Formats: sequence, C-alpha cells, structure tokens
Amino acid sequence: MANIIVRRRSLLLGSAALAVAPVIIPGIAHAAAEVGTPAPLFTSVDSNGKTQSLEQYRGKIVVLETTNHDCPYVAKHYRAGNMQAQQKDAAAKGIVWLTVASSAPGEQGNVTPQQANELTVKRGAAPAAVLIDPQSKVARAYAATVTPHMYIVDAKGILVYKGGIDSIATSNIDDIAKAKQYVRVALEEMAAGKPITEASTRPYGCTLKYGRSST
Amino acid sequence: MRRFLTLLAVLLAGFGLASTAHAQSVVKTDNVRAELVSEVSTVKPGEPFWVALRQTIRPKWHTYWKNPGDSGLPTEIKWTLPAGAKADAIVWPAPHVIDVGGVINYGFSDDVMLLVRITLPADLPIGGTLPLTAQAEWLVCDDVCIPEEGKFTLDLPVAATAQPANAETRAMFDKARRAVPVPSPWPARFAVAANGDPVLAIDAKGLKPDTIRDVYFFPAEWGTAAHMAKQSAKVSADGIRIPLKKGETKGAPPPQLLGTLVLTEKTADGEHRQAFDLAAKLDPALATSVMNNSEESSLSLAEALLFALLGGLILNLMPCVFPVLAMKAASFARLAGHSRGELRRDGLAYSAGVLVSFALMAAALLAIRGSVGEVNWGIQFQSPIFSLLIAYLFFAVGLNLSGVFEIGGRFAGLGQGLAARGGTAGAFFTGVLAVVVATPCTAPFMAAALGFALVQPAPQTVAVLLAMGLGLALPYLLLTLTPALQRFLPRPGAWMDRLRQLLAFPMYASAVWMIWVLTLQTGADGVLYALGGMVLIAFAAWLVRVGGASSTGLWLRRGAAAAAVLLAIAATLKLENPSATAASASGGPANGVSFEGWERFSRARLAEAVAQGKPVFVDFTAAWCITCLVNERVALETAKTRQAFEQAGVVKLKGDWTNRDPEITATLKEAGRAGVPLYLWWPAGADKPKILPQILTEAMIVSEITAKR
Repeated sequence: MANIIVRRRSLLLGSAALAVAPVIIPGIAHAAAEVGTPAPLFTSVDSNGKTQSLEQYRGKIVVLETTNHDCPYVAKHYRAGNMQAQQKDAAAKGIVWLTVASSAPGEQGNVTPQQANELTVKRGAAPAAVLIDPQSKVARAYAATVTPHMYIVDAKGILVYKGGIDSIATSNIDDIAKAKQYVRVALEEMAAGKPITEASTRPYGCTLKYGRSST
Repeated sequence: MRRFLTLLAVLLAGFGLASTAHAQSVVKTDNVRAELVSEVSTVKPGEPFWVALRQTIRPKWHTYWKNPGDSGLPTEIKWTLPAGAKADAIVWPAPHVIDVGGVINYGFSDDVMLLVRITLPADLPIGGTLPLTAQAEWLVCDDVCIPEEGKFTLDLPVAATAQPANAETRAMFDKARRAVPVPSPWPARFAVAANGDPVLAIDAKGLKPDTIRDVYFFPAEWGTAAHMAKQSAKVSADGIRIPLKKGETKGAPPPQLLGTLVLTEKTADGEHRQAFDLAAKLDPALATSVMNNSEESSLSLAEALLFALLGGLILNLMPCVFPVLAMKAASFARLAGHSRGELRRDGLAYSAGVLVSFALMAAALLAIRGSVGEVNWGIQFQSPIFSLLIAYLFFAVGLNLSGVFEIGGRFAGLGQGLAARGGTAGAFFTGVLAVVVATPCTAPFMAAALGFALVQPAPQTVAVLLAMGLGLALPYLLLTLTPALQRFLPRPGAWMDRLRQLLAFPMYASAVWMIWVLTLQTGADGVLYALGGMVLIAFAAWLVRVGGASSTGLWLRRGAAAAAVLLAIAATLKLENPSATAASASGGPANGVSFEGWERFSRARLAEAVAQGKPVFVDFTAAWCITCLVNERVALETAKTRQAFEQAGVVKLKGDWTNRDPEITATLKEAGRAGVPLYLWWPAGADKPKILPQILTEAMIVSEITAKR
C-alpha cells in the first residue's frame, strides 16, 4: 500500500494548534535594536580614554552617530557643517551626542584616539564624546549598516529613532538644504512632547566597515 | 597605504568627473567604465527603442540594484530629451547578493546593462538627429565607497526606418534582456507571523527539489524584509517557501510584497540562474501553516520517533480516520460482554494490522528508494489513480454505512468484509483499513517525521514509520488493555445503528475531498471519470441488494455488479493516459505544459515532417523544468518568434517529459542528453537537426529561423 501525502491547508488548520514545533531561527542574530524597545546597552572607551556607557546617561536623551571620516556621505554632512550644527544644538539642549568610530583595524575610517581628537578639532565638531570602537561592538549591538547611521535613545533608555541623518540619499552637499533632517525633526518632536512621526527611516551612506572575518 | 589608495581613488574619481565636461557616450572613472549604448543606429519617429547604460566595473567592486540592501545607493539616470520624447524607468537585471563583512548588499559586479526604453514623438523630422542626454549617478564600492557620476550624450540620426545597431551591440542587448527577471509563472503569497516575520510561498507545483539551489528573494523595496538575515528557502513538490525576517518598516503589512526571486536550476548539461518578478499577495491563512513547515529542520532520530508517535496519535483525530475509529468503538461496545482475554486479543490484532500496514509501507518506500535512488513523495504518490481509488473506497464505505448494501447480508457491524468478521482476523483488517483511509491525511508532526524518514538509512526509516503506526493504534490498544477505561463505554443499542448511518456522511465528505484533490491532478475530466465511476459503484451496490437472499437471477446480478465495478476501475486507467490529463489540466501553463500553438511530439510526426522537407522545431519540456518555462516566456512564445515561426511555415512540435515519456527519453538520448530542456531545429530540407543551446533568446531563435541555408 502506497502512502499519499497531500498537504492541504484546510486539513491542517484544525490541528495547527496542536503543532508545537521547534522553530529554528536561521542566520545571524539580527536587528537587536528595535524602535520602541530598550536600546542595547554598551560600554566603550572614548577618544580621551574615558569610559562611556549608555546607562550613565539615563535621564538624558542620547544621540548615536556612526562615523567613518573618509566616507563621502559622512564628509558631505561635515563639509556642509550640518553634522556639527546639529551636535551643537543638541549640546545646548542638554542632549548627549556620541559619535561612534566603529571601523575595524585596517579598514577605512579606523582611527586612533589622537586622530579622532584631531578630526574633531579640524572639523569644528562638538560631540559629547567620540567612542573608539575598533571591534565594532557598539555598531554590532545596534546592527548599524552604514556611516552615518543615526540613533536616538530617550531619557528612559528606550530607542526612539533609528535610520538616516536626512531624507535625500546622495553625496551631493546641495541636497542637505532640501532634505528633511530626520534627527533634528525627531528631537524637536520629543521636546514638544509629540510622538516621532518618522521613527525608522532608511539609512544611507558607506557600508559600515566591520572586520573582514566578522561573519 | 590603504588610505593613500583611497585618496588616490577619490582624486581619480574627481578627475573622471572633470573629464565629462564635453559631450560623449563613454565616461571612464577609476572604478567604472560607463557607456550609453543604443540598440538602433537610426531611430524612426514614433517607434520606441532601447538604450542602455553599460557599466564595466573594476574587479571586486560593485554598483547597486534598485533596492541596494543594507547600504549603498542605486544608479540613477536623469534624462534630457527633446519635447515629446520620454525615457521609461530603468529595467533592472536580476541582482546578486554582495556580503561586505556581514552587511548585505544587492548589486552588480563586473559588467551590467541598465536597460531603458525611449519613446519618441511621431512628428520628429526625418533627416535630423535625436540628441539623447543622460546625467547618471552611481555609487561604486569595494570596501570603500565612491559616488561617481557622468554625463552622456548620444546623437542618433532620425530616419524613415530604424536601423539596428551592429551585431555585437545587438548581442549585448540580447544578453542583457536574458538577465532581466521574467514575470513569475507561479502565484505567490505571503503572510506575517505573530513575531512580525514574513514568510513567502511560491506555489510552484511539481518542482524537483534536488535540481534547484541558491533560492533567494530580493525585496523590491527597502524595509519590507531584513536583508542581513540569511534566507533558507525550502523547495518541495508543493512549491518554494522562504521564511524572511521582518524589515524596518513599521505598521500593517502591505497588501503586496514585491521583489525578485532568483534560483539556480541544474539541468542535464549545466546550471542556469533564473530570475522572476513576484508580486506576492497577503494571505493570512498562510501563517497558520508556517508552523508545520518550520519543523522540517533537521531532527534527531529520537525527535523524529517522538514526532512520528505524536503524528500517529493525532492522526486518530483526522477526518479520514475518524469513521474507522468510530467503527472500532461500535464493535468494541459489542465486545463489552466478552472476556478480557478476547478484548485484549482484539486490541492486539488491530494494532498488528496497523503496524503490518506501516511496515509494508516502509518496505515499499525502501524498494522505491532502492530502485530510483531517491524518494519523492510529490511525484510517486500524487498519482491520480490512487486518489480516485481512495475516493471510490470512501464512497463504497459510505454506501455501506448508509445501509444501501450489506456485504453478504450477514455482517451487522460497520466493517468492511473481513473487517467486520468480529474475530481476530476482523480486528486485524480493521487496522489495515484504518491505515488505508488514513493515508490521505497528513497530521502535524508527520511531515517532519516523514521528511526525516525519507533520507535516513533503512532501519531508521522503518523505525519512524512503525512509531507512527504505534501512535495510530495506541488509543484503541490502551482501551482494550485497560479494563478500568472500559466501564466508561456506553451499552450497545439502537444508537449504534443511527451512529453508523451518521458516520456515512464524513465518508461522503472525504470522497468529495479526494475528488477535489483529483481535479488538481487531472483537471475537469477527472471529475467526469470519478463521478461516473461512483454512479457505477452505487449501481453495483443496488444490484447486490435488490432481491435480497432470493436466488433468482442472483448470479446475473452479481455479474452485472462486478462488471459495473470493473468499469469504474477502468475509468481510473483513463487517468494515467497523459494526453487525457495534461491537456485538460486547468489553469494553463502554471499547472502543466501548454500545447497552445504546438503539435504534440511523436517520432512518427517528426519523421513525416522532416521527410516532407519542412522546417521543424522541437521543444522538449516538462512542467517542473524552470529553465524550459523561462525559455518559453522570453524566447519561444514572444510575438516576434511566433510571427517568425509562422512566416517560415515551421512545424512546431512539443514533447512533454513531465511524466518520463519513453519515446521522448529515446530522442533525448539520441541527442546525447539526459534531460530537458532540449531544442532541436531542422531547417527546411535538412536531414540532421541542429541542437540549440539550453538558454534561448528571442533574437537567437528568430535568426535561426530566418537564416538562409
């Protein structure tokens, strides 16, 4: 007697509740950072050798900016002064802006603490700190894919924004004025006590330079 | 050093930009040589034509698809055209996955053609020129990314006819079109699981899992699915299922999930990458069946045995087996007065019947595996004959339960023949009957266990199947072995007869369901044979009953009844004839091979046409052959090719190898092939065919047909 296997949804529906199957999650751990959930915690060392952790800023809004100074998209926002202006505005409002240099050693954008400080001076940047993250731990915790990839963590430690710096994905400086500055708008909405209208946007930029052997 | 190189690259890129100041169709940067090419050398007013931005990319570097993935940007082209002319959006070739340290991008390496259709106004003055100006921007990356751009101009003379470009350019366009995804021939659905992860189902029936690999779904838009997650597609005879991870876009799922499905098919002489554009419709019902599929992951033997046991237990609740169980319960109630020993014997005999049936099934499975080398449930067991016989069996049991006929008139029970004999043999055959009617039902867990059993060495296969049988037999076995449980059974009475009549209806419902399954396998004709056969069976049942015990004409009636049953069974043989099945299959090419516009291949017809000196084109195909399907869509069934075939008076023969036709197999062998696709072309008067490549393009076919000999 031969068997016949005909899988029919109609038949399986009734018994689906009985199927307590082990669900195997394939592939790599993904998207640990979800908007509306607690932001992944991290501890890192900044360019001045100081330990920086997300937890120590509980009670304050924290902005994370992944960076790679040789990336044309990062350069776009620094050459135009857009990034520095937003950093200064944030500082004035008591918001903690952390720039994260997560390029692996040997990769574009990998900097020593000294180089990071020189870049800050040269570009007139004003982050609260530049995190030196050559093992890409912070970037990995947030599943960052590009530079600049932007995140906002609210005073309670909840991730409230992730995505791009603005809405026009080009390397053209002229587009900054025309683009919606997502991070700036989100911070304004938070200050006004409003929900963030665009809390997850498409980031654009250079691929984040994780180490070659990382996966 | 790296930084110096980067700087150099940026400088050179800058130099590349600077050099685009004057009009040209080629732009060279340090990383990309880009060229605007046209498929025609002169344009005709009012007639659309194709151009392409061709990027020759530095080795190891890449540019991006319309959805670039986790990072990157797609190439963009802005056109400046004369009034009335219009450039459509880029027609993208199927992308590749590019993994940069775990960040997944979708794009192109080495060489890519971005096709754009230009439409022209009808009032362009002939003798003038059409200036095409394109400003293109692209991002090119290795481990560093460089945005580049170029300005391209191409002046095309306007003439009364559109002159094709040189052969090399035309071949380039031909190849580019081949890389563009074709619309999916299969419907696709998607659903979102409770955890937000989408799952995609492509209802491609009859695919052969072992010939397909590297299945990947490229979402058309950012945010609909996570790019970074690895995709592990499952291919079965039912189709392709791809569990995805949720993307960044929030809110309710869209009504459609758009994207491109790419897979590699192994054919008799090579591997071919095929791409299909999908628009998957939201189908919430899909989510509930996802669970059953996700358990097909690798199991250990212990897990497989456990699942098999559970599957067998649950099988008792499935609609197919329920009537048998109820039947068993009724006969059990009759046994209530008997001794415990008898009860125990009855339970053990029933279990033995179930287990022996499963053992036989395992033996059949191993035998098939031994002879064919692999077991494919989909093809071996989705036989329309089997479906119809099972439908007949359900129907006959239903008639019996309804009281239309009693076999031999002396069986008071619900059982069939031997099954109702009441003794040990009866119990044994009730077990066999339970397995027979259970087979069309797949309980949860069973799929996973069966999937495991199929690929394991013989002892494990047998063990898993026996565990399943044990699961099926267990409830009744426990009942007979545990006197305490027996007290809960109701007393025998008139209710048994009513119950029996009631139970006929699930049997009829099961028969209806099997006929529905049959229609999927054979199309509308199957219904005719099935219902006709059932009328014959009902007639036979009536004949047997009429006159009761009287012997007048008994043998005549029995003879007529037997003839009716034989005729009904003969109807099943009609189903195996592929010309009766494939041609009537509903739903067109998605469910089988379409013969519209083609003659059915036979060696006699081929010999005849060749002898007459006619040009002959033979297409050997199969419903499960994806490459065949794509060739038909892009090369054989296009308007141009059809016209060329018609004008040249070509005899078009199609051989359907879906069911391994020996005549076709012989022809394939003669051509030195072990499988499809195979395309043979006899130009008029030729005595030997030309074997065409496995990958066809429209231009290739048209030029073969129109070539002068």
